[in-house]
Amino acid sequence: MDLYYIAGVALGLGLVVVGAGLGIGKFAAAAAESIARQPSAAAEITGAINLPLFLLEGVAILAEVFIFAVVLLK
Amino acid sequence: MTTQHAEEAQQAGEHAADAAHGAEEGFNAGEVIIEHVSNSSLDHPIVHLPHIAGIDFSVTKHVMMMWLVAGFLFLVITMATRAYLKQERRIPTGFMNGLEWLVQSIRDSIVLPNVGAKFVNTWTPLMLTLFVFILACNVVGLIPVFETLGMIDRFVLGNSPESESLINSVLHGGTTATANYNVTAALATITFFSIMIAGTMAHGFIKHWKNLVPSGLAKPVYALLIPIELMGMFVKPFALTMRLAANMTGGHIAILSILSLVFLFAEIFASAAVGIGVGFTLVLPLAVGISALEIIVVLVQAYVFTLLTSVFIGMAINVHH
Repeated sequence: MDLYYIAGVALGLGLVVVGAGLGIGKFAAAAAESIARQPSAAAEITGAINLPLFLLEGVAILAEVFIFAVVLLK
Repeated sequence: MTTQHAEEAQQAGEHAADAAHGAEEGFNAGEVIIEHVSNSSLDHPIVHLPHIAGIDFSVTKHVMMMWLVAGFLFLVITMATRAYLKQERRIPTGFMNGLEWLVQSIRDSIVLPNVGAKFVNTWTPLMLTLFVFILACNVVGLIPVFETLGMIDRFVLGNSPESESLINSVLHGGTTATANYNVTAALATITFFSIMIAGTMAHGFIKHWKNLVPSGLAKPVYALLIPIELMGMFVKPFALTMRLAANMTGGHIAILSILSLVFLFAEIFASAAVGIGVGFTLVLPLAVGISALEIIVVLVQAYVFTLLTSVFIGMAINVHH
């Protein structure tokens, strides 16, 4: 029973990492492509990409917090 | 021959017994890590204060750290500014240069693009306060001040860990005040009310609440939209709370779990040499790497909190519907 519990938590953590990694990877790819196309707009592109990046990071962190809470409140 | 063999077997048995004994009272990584990231428990407050209306007002470690950081920032920044204002020729030097750069870059790159030119001077002081306070709290958490003091107390001065000295009472709990969800919730509450005040100042009280939803939609859409927007009002500060505290806690947990590998290996192989070897070859590079990452995280989280607060305030002021 305990093993299933830990396995579930670990699986959830892995899913969070996969999702957040895909999201951040897409951001980085899009930013690199658009900066390569228009190097003069690098600062604006970085600024536009910052906010959704942090929101995405927030979601991933929230998931980690809940996983942590699940482990602690067992 | 047989006696030697028996002796060896006996010695091996003793070793195994020692190891088992060690495992019973051994190193509990989870407990140590939680002790180092959470607030000091109410059994070990730094200053005992009475209960008022059922709330324990005792000063814990995080409260002390918050006061220390706030007092330090107040003194340093006020003194620098006063000294600068007393100069005959107003040319900033040294620390004042850095301070002016900070103020200007936060105003021009965080507040101005989001809040707009009309209200930039109203909201820059709040953003500066949030940024400087959060950054200082985060940075102080990365410096093991009390652990170093405790080590000197233990091994140089030779005091026992059970004695009732001031150093032993400040050793309980973590140093990062922003890793406490209550602290970040308080900071996010400031954001929550700032959003309302900003909207009210820009559009008036009634118009601010009307601005939450776009006007001129079909009636059934409102039934869906109004609950979502009201929920969003609370989700914003909640996300701010969780983001900052979880980032600060997470980094410390990562560093501490890697550091605890030293003790775990030493315990498994029942020799200090293995622990020291693992420490130098594996743990030290990893811990240095994660600490370097933490320095970036510390800066980014202070920046993000300030940026998101100004974005939310800007959304209440410049309504795009």
